[in-house]
Amino acid sequence: MAKAQAKEKGYTLFLGCMVPLRHPYIEASARKTFENLGIDIADSEEFTCCPEPWSVKGSDLEAWLSIAMRNLAVGEKAGRDMMVLCNGCYATLKEAEHIASSDGDVVTAANKRLATKKMKYSGGVGPTHVAQVFAGMTEEIGKSVTMPLGGLKVAVHHGCHILRPAEVMGFDDPFEPSVLEGLLETLGAEVVRYKGYTDCCGKAVRDELVGLELAGDKLSAMEAAGADCVAVVCPACFEQFDLGQVEIKRKLKKAHTLPVFHLCELVALAQGEDAAKLGMERHRTPVKPVTDRLK
Amino acid sequence: MSAVEGAGQIEHCYQCSACVAECPAARKVDAFNPREIVLASLLGVAEHLTAKDSVIWQCATCYKCYERCPQGTRPVEVITALKNIATAEGNAPEETTALRDTVLSSGFLLALSDAVVKRRSELGLPPVPGSRSDLGEMMGR
Repeated sequence: MAKAQAKEKGYTLFLGCMVPLRHPYIEASARKTFENLGIDIADSEEFTCCPEPWSVKGSDLEAWLSIAMRNLAVGEKAGRDMMVLCNGCYATLKEAEHIASSDGDVVTAANKRLATKKMKYSGGVGPTHVAQVFAGMTEEIGKSVTMPLGGLKVAVHHGCHILRPAEVMGFDDPFEPSVLEGLLETLGAEVVRYKGYTDCCGKAVRDELVGLELAGDKLSAMEAAGADCVAVVCPACFEQFDLGQVEIKRKLKKAHTLPVFHLCELVALAQGEDAAKLGMERHRTPVKPVTDRLK
Repeated sequence: MSAVEGAGQIEHCYQCSACVAECPAARKVDAFNPREIVLASLLGVAEHLTAKDSVIWQCATCYKCYERCPQGTRPVEVITALKNIATAEGNAPEETTALRDTVLSSGFLLALSDAVVKRRSELGLPPVPGSRSDLGEMMGR
């Protein structure tokens, strides 16, 4: 068998849908932090939706795996590991990478689908999450901090799919994670643990009110622990808490005012980047209470 | 059921309810119980779970049941298998199949609107491709 082509350094950025098409400020911060940290990023126009792991996997496993393996094949051809900014993309691509190495019927079916496009995924590159990349370079991140998030009390919401299933995702302990909290401390923030900190944001639940109640329970627990803001690593969780606070007020008549940030945004702020230039005023829950404090 | 990857150890379930204890959907929706869903699937009496408006669609897919199960039953993947069956029978929620069809026809979940194009340009972000139409073809649609 031919030896796999040597993997290039750096990453191909896998944007997915929600970051570039709905929350581009997350992408703006991400690219700025990569620049500041000297992380070499390439783009590809060949990627599609990962695809979304709840509705697509839930309705059509073969289509889900085929499209995911097609994206992995595109990444493999580009020659670098694929970096994602979203737990949904991570869940799909990481699980597909895992399943692709088995010989189940659905893998055979997916391989046939790829063959019609003269494509193949052999496992030469794989997906990684930006949180994982950052966790592996805390020293460089610490050195890049010019405006520490001094005393800012941050509640970390991991989101489910970077943690579980742990044997596939390989990021941290599925019930008592601490890697992300350590990263936030590197930025100068004070991390607050709160009741149910590994619980789900509720985004994937069909009944919207049930999902909002789950998000509201978490926001209440974060507030009770004295948090000034929420840190997430996923645009779906971001939306559930950021836009979610508007919806919770309207539909559940409960008021929360906790600014929500993607990890990349907090790294950018700690690197002295300007919140307005990176589009953070577009968040639905105003970020000003936090950004004013950092001036 | 074994046709769905990862949902093959259902017969190992001994009904201990470890999956129920931390299930967010079970906490909020009385009719949602992963232990009962696994039992009904095991006994082959799951027609109500693959019918229209089934409770299975309330699963948050948080994977806590997957981690807590001492028997490797993976209730969340049993539910994924049931969802695939419900879809094949035409009983999935419209919004779910619509999302899948959007991905198959355009390559993405969301459309590239003029507003997003403008915002991306204001933020100095590179252009992104609007849509890809070859996924449906790849899947034989």
